[in-house]
Amino acid sequence: MSTSTETEVAADASPRRRPQAPRSGGFGNWLSQFDRKVTPYIYVSPFFLLFGLIGLFPLAYTFYVSMYDWDLLKGKGDFVGFDNFTNMLSNEMFWNSIGNTIAIFLMSSVPQILVALILAAILDQNLRAKSFWRMGVLLPYVVAPVAVALIFSSVFNEADGLANNLLNMVGIADQEWKHTDWQSWFAIATMVNWRWTGYNALILLAAMQAVPRDQYESAAIDGAGWLRRFVSITIPSIRPTVIFVIITSTIGGLQIFAEPRLFDVSNAGGIGGSDRQFQTTVLFLWEMAFFRRDFGRAAAVAWLLFLLILIFGVVNFMLSRSIASSGAGNRASRRAAKKKKYAPKEVVK
Amino acid sequence: MSFSRRRNILGVAAGATAFALLVAGCSSSDDKNDSPASSGAGSSSAAEPVTLTITTFGTMGYEDLYTEYMELNPHVTIEATNIDTGGNARTDTFTKIAAGGDGLTDIVGLEEGWLGAIMEVSDSFEDLRDYGIEDRKSDWVDWKYAQATDPSGRVIGYGTDIGPEGICYNGKLFEAAGLPSDREEVADLLEGDWAHYMEVGKQYQQATGKAWYDHSGFVWNAMVNQLDEGYYTADGALNVEGNADLEALWAILADGAASGLSAAQSPWDWNGGKSFVDGTFATFMCPGWMLGVVQSNTEAGGGDATTGWDFADVFPGGAANWGGSFLAVASNSKNKEEAAKLASWLTEPEQQVKQFNAAGTFPSTIAAQEELAANGEPNAFFNNAPVGQLLAGRAQGVVAQFKGPDDSLIQENVFGPAANALDRGELDGPAAWQQALDLLKELVG
Repeated sequence: MSTSTETEVAADASPRRRPQAPRSGGFGNWLSQFDRKVTPYIYVSPFFLLFGLIGLFPLAYTFYVSMYDWDLLKGKGDFVGFDNFTNMLSNEMFWNSIGNTIAIFLMSSVPQILVALILAAILDQNLRAKSFWRMGVLLPYVVAPVAVALIFSSVFNEADGLANNLLNMVGIADQEWKHTDWQSWFAIATMVNWRWTGYNALILLAAMQAVPRDQYESAAIDGAGWLRRFVSITIPSIRPTVIFVIITSTIGGLQIFAEPRLFDVSNAGGIGGSDRQFQTTVLFLWEMAFFRRDFGRAAAVAWLLFLLILIFGVVNFMLSRSIASSGAGNRASRRAAKKKKYAPKEVVK
Repeated sequence: MSFSRRRNILGVAAGATAFALLVAGCSSSDDKNDSPASSGAGSSSAAEPVTLTITTFGTMGYEDLYTEYMELNPHVTIEATNIDTGGNARTDTFTKIAAGGDGLTDIVGLEEGWLGAIMEVSDSFEDLRDYGIEDRKSDWVDWKYAQATDPSGRVIGYGTDIGPEGICYNGKLFEAAGLPSDREEVADLLEGDWAHYMEVGKQYQQATGKAWYDHSGFVWNAMVNQLDEGYYTADGALNVEGNADLEALWAILADGAASGLSAAQSPWDWNGGKSFVDGTFATFMCPGWMLGVVQSNTEAGGGDATTGWDFADVFPGGAANWGGSFLAVASNSKNKEEAAKLASWLTEPEQQVKQFNAAGTFPSTIAAQEELAANGEPNAFFNNAPVGQLLAGRAQGVVAQFKGPDDSLIQENVFGPAANALDRGELDGPAAWQQALDLLKELVG
């Protein structure tokens, strides 16, 4: 694309060049203008071209598919407009999958980010063998999600799994991890947490290390305790990163598939549990596309999920912005406020 | 990997290694083609070198045969992919057909359970009549050949194995419960209909307090597959609601579950195979290909031949078939002629016998069945049962059942949850039947 414009421009410009040549090099001027204004876009364009190809086009094409009665094997059928959407929106199984997804999302993302924050704060201290600990928390991330799912599927095996054996040791009877709603959600959330907590902790840690140390020192001198410093300095300073982590874990959490798909091997048809106890929306989409072979409705589900993620993303963005910046407005005024607040204490000392 | 005889595991391992070496050899040095074609390949010795791709699933036992074929036909290189289960092979094949057939290998393994859906797009695969399958028609049991024929008469698959069903039982558990444990006595004991099978089960359950079979789902599959018409009528109409035969069988199933005959196991897990070893259940539905599943799971659970599994020449309600596969040639293939040759060769009686010896898949060709009936070797894992002979007997009287486009969906996603509800005591027979009907309406329409 970009090269064709350039040659066109060049061909276009060359005849004009001759009369202009005696003057102050108009084409050179133009070229440097072009270089300044357009080249940066050419440099970043590969991303957008690729995004268009593998992001935007599938999105649009999925929408196109969702407008039709579309069989997986037989292909396109009749145009049905928004029927697939209205059908799914009034479908109990769809809403069941949304409920499961949100429950698993809440049970994973919330504790995950809290623990990641705490882990990051601990790793931010002057520990011995820093790299060892930092690499250590990332280790679960290295394991493929499929392997994680298989391992945890065995841990939460109802008859002889590790989880039930441990519970038995403290006198609690076997739990039905693969049959009860909230227990299966818990088990799946555990897989997600196991894999992602360390990863998020490292991202938060990177942000924490960029916080100027003198802020902590002066706060410490001012008499602020560990918790106070964490809440009043660390969290506001790393706010953009916290928002990033929350948004990415929202997107990831709502798209969860491999874990519920592999949690119970006996459900070949992708129904997520014997009675759809832990069928997430992507799993529902998969069943719709590849087992029920209804590609049109599966495409509608994909779009509805996309919209849901957008809504959740925006809500989380607003929430996390307001939480982290609660109280004072911008950072400067906050710092000023802090000084004022602590000043009397110093005097007392 | 599960094979009927330990010796064969070594054989196949060796074969696989040889195969790997051969592939490596071929790809690294094409000058192999210059070597004299003394291996008796006949017509094909002067042919252009060709690479054939093939996708199979489960345990098909083809590794040695690939090697043999490449030795017979030096110009052919086989690149094989094996997918772990039929269910995953289904997804793989469907996805590729949905993408216009791109990515399908030259030869594709198709499973009976989802053949009905494939038949709706049967032009994704070649009509094998163009490759001379009609000359071999009499090789196969006629219903196998008929299953691979689409409504317009095109034949899209070379039949590989079939799934004649017998009963796997644990002799030691039978003995402990005061039941006969000898293979023939057990066959006499279980001779009868499904209600009779449940009656014996109740005796066993009362004597031991333990379950009779692993879970209701497999028993239900066996029951349905046995009928002349299953979830669909022969002319392709849905056949569930108001089907008195199915409903009566469902009542028997529900009664069994309510009487504690089902161990409510998770299939394909069976507590990591331990349930095959610790006496959780005493009988198991065994189509030929399931023998390998029983063995590998028992071994995974820490058991071996001494665990007591045996195979009886009997099946409740008479002859039945569950499963079986076909090899089809993709229409997108660039080497259709050669691919059809290989697929045809793999399904010839002689090769089917070798396949059975490697993987326990029971042949669909008559000559191979006769060979096994006459000279089948005892299976050490199943208490030296002559499984080849027994399965040959079990294959008598089997009739093909029409598989509709949503057969596997109905089996897994409609009756799966309902059978599970029976096992867990959540619903009684009529309520679970109603649940199945509701699910059917929702999922299939």
